[in-house]
Amino acid sequence: MTLRWFALACAIAACLLIGLGAGDTWINPFHAGNGLENTILWELRLPRLLTAFAVGGLLALAGAWFQVLLGNPLAEPYVLGVAGSASAGAVTGLMFMPESTWVMSAGAFIGAWVGIVAVLFFSRLGPNRMLLAGVVLAAFWSAVLALLLALLPEQGLFRAFSWMMGDLSHSDLPVTLLLLAWVIALACGLILSGALDKLLLGERHAEALGVDVKRLRLRLLLLASAVTALAVTAAGTIGFVGLVIPHLMRLIFGSLHRAVLPASAIGGGLLLVLADSAARTIIAPAELPVGILTAMIGVPVFLFLLLRRN
Amino acid sequence: MSIVMMLANLTVERGGSTLLSALSCPFHAGEVVVVLGPNGAGKSSLLLAMAGLIPAGGNIDVAGKPLSAYRRSELTRQIAWQGDLPPTEFGLTVKQRLVLAAGEAGSNIEATAAAMDITPLLERPLGELSSGERQRTELAALMLRDTPVWLLDEPTAHLDLKHQIQCIHMLKAQKAHGRAIVTVLHDLQQAMAIADHLILIDGKGAAEYGTATQLFDSERLSQLFNAPVVGQGAVLVPDYGGDDL
Repeated sequence: MTLRWFALACAIAACLLIGLGAGDTWINPFHAGNGLENTILWELRLPRLLTAFAVGGLLALAGAWFQVLLGNPLAEPYVLGVAGSASAGAVTGLMFMPESTWVMSAGAFIGAWVGIVAVLFFSRLGPNRMLLAGVVLAAFWSAVLALLLALLPEQGLFRAFSWMMGDLSHSDLPVTLLLLAWVIALACGLILSGALDKLLLGERHAEALGVDVKRLRLRLLLLASAVTALAVTAAGTIGFVGLVIPHLMRLIFGSLHRAVLPASAIGGGLLLVLADSAARTIIAPAELPVGILTAMIGVPVFLFLLLRRN
Repeated sequence: MSIVMMLANLTVERGGSTLLSALSCPFHAGEVVVVLGPNGAGKSSLLLAMAGLIPAGGNIDVAGKPLSAYRRSELTRQIAWQGDLPPTEFGLTVKQRLVLAAGEAGSNIEATAAAMDITPLLERPLGELSSGERQRTELAALMLRDTPVWLLDEPTAHLDLKHQIQCIHMLKAQKAHGRAIVTVLHDLQQAMAIADHLILIDGKGAAEYGTATQLFDSERLSQLFNAPVVGQGAVLVPDYGGDDL
């Protein structure tokens, strides 16, 4: 197990180097040649790298929590329709103030919470009802989003699509806030980790082992939703990180959450740092939406895990 | 023998119909109470109600205190419940399952696993076990719970003959150590081997409590199960040869 954590530490170092160095031009972080390179490294790339790390970590944590909360290994942060409602909120913001990233982010945050409250209202915390309500509401939000996109002025469309596929280039949230959220979310997860392990045995067995399941479900739903709302607000909808990383980490570190959660928080961050580095590099100086890259990395990894499990 | 648990006018409902009505009985330390009845009569529901896992009418006292006055975490120090483990998808291993049951004081895991013949399975995910292996794992998890009361829902289900016998021996040993055991069983021979008292549930709301000597009666059991039971005294068996069903 120590070896696995050591490997993860090495991966952190490698991803930091790649995240800082990669881009339009490669800059060696240890030998930044001039003032401009220093500015690019520490004032542009470092904040973006930290944003990507925090957002990826938050998405992976939310994915791990939703999987246990719903008892479903296919669950991910957007399973309850939060991506759709946040997107609808973001596009609504764009309609009113097309130039303001801040208004779009606020719209996404409000939209995410409207989606969460709707799921909570219709599901009453039953896992199956929650999943069903999430699927139906996701379809509803997707229809609302299509309607809003049809009404959106042409100049806002590119911005909307770019955000919907994941976009770290316009994040308005302070990096410190996101990193603080990452730390708090992980700490909360670790506090709940014993109860989460028991919930893996099913609701009744968890209760028989002393877990107040209803309270735990409510806490988990609020925690995972808050984290998802924050990640969506910061970077749009980025898929597959929250689905793939918890599975990968369970495979490497086992099923107990005191290992899975920190490993996911780090692994999710690293995946998004790598994907964002690739997104900034592949067609430089232009950028690809990072969500495309996470899907391209995430889908083969998930299929590999599926085949391995078979 | 001291009373560790007491039911007074217990009523259990499911889906709008009353499974059990006004059941009153004590449970003593060092005693086995076997719950018998046809499928769907409410045997498992009785255990769930006694474990505080489903709501029930009437009163349940545990160690002289109403069950409702316990916090869930406190109740786990009084009552251990064993039931079917639902399918788990997240790769939890047998050893991890036992650690979760044992809690912080989980030092007996290896010895308990050996007692239930699951030592070679310790690193296997629960999802890869056969039904019998899962049942032995659940019995081992129960053995790690040092509570005054054990509630077992068909502990010998899915087990081969050797492990059925092993399970009955284990329950007898626990009884000798002063544990109060309430168990649902379907096998009359097993019930007769360990029961001090019986609870007979007919599925229409009526429940009868009495000593094994009083209630082990071929006519009464035939009526309960709506199936022929023949024999006398300590030897009662289903009549597989007859056509009287």
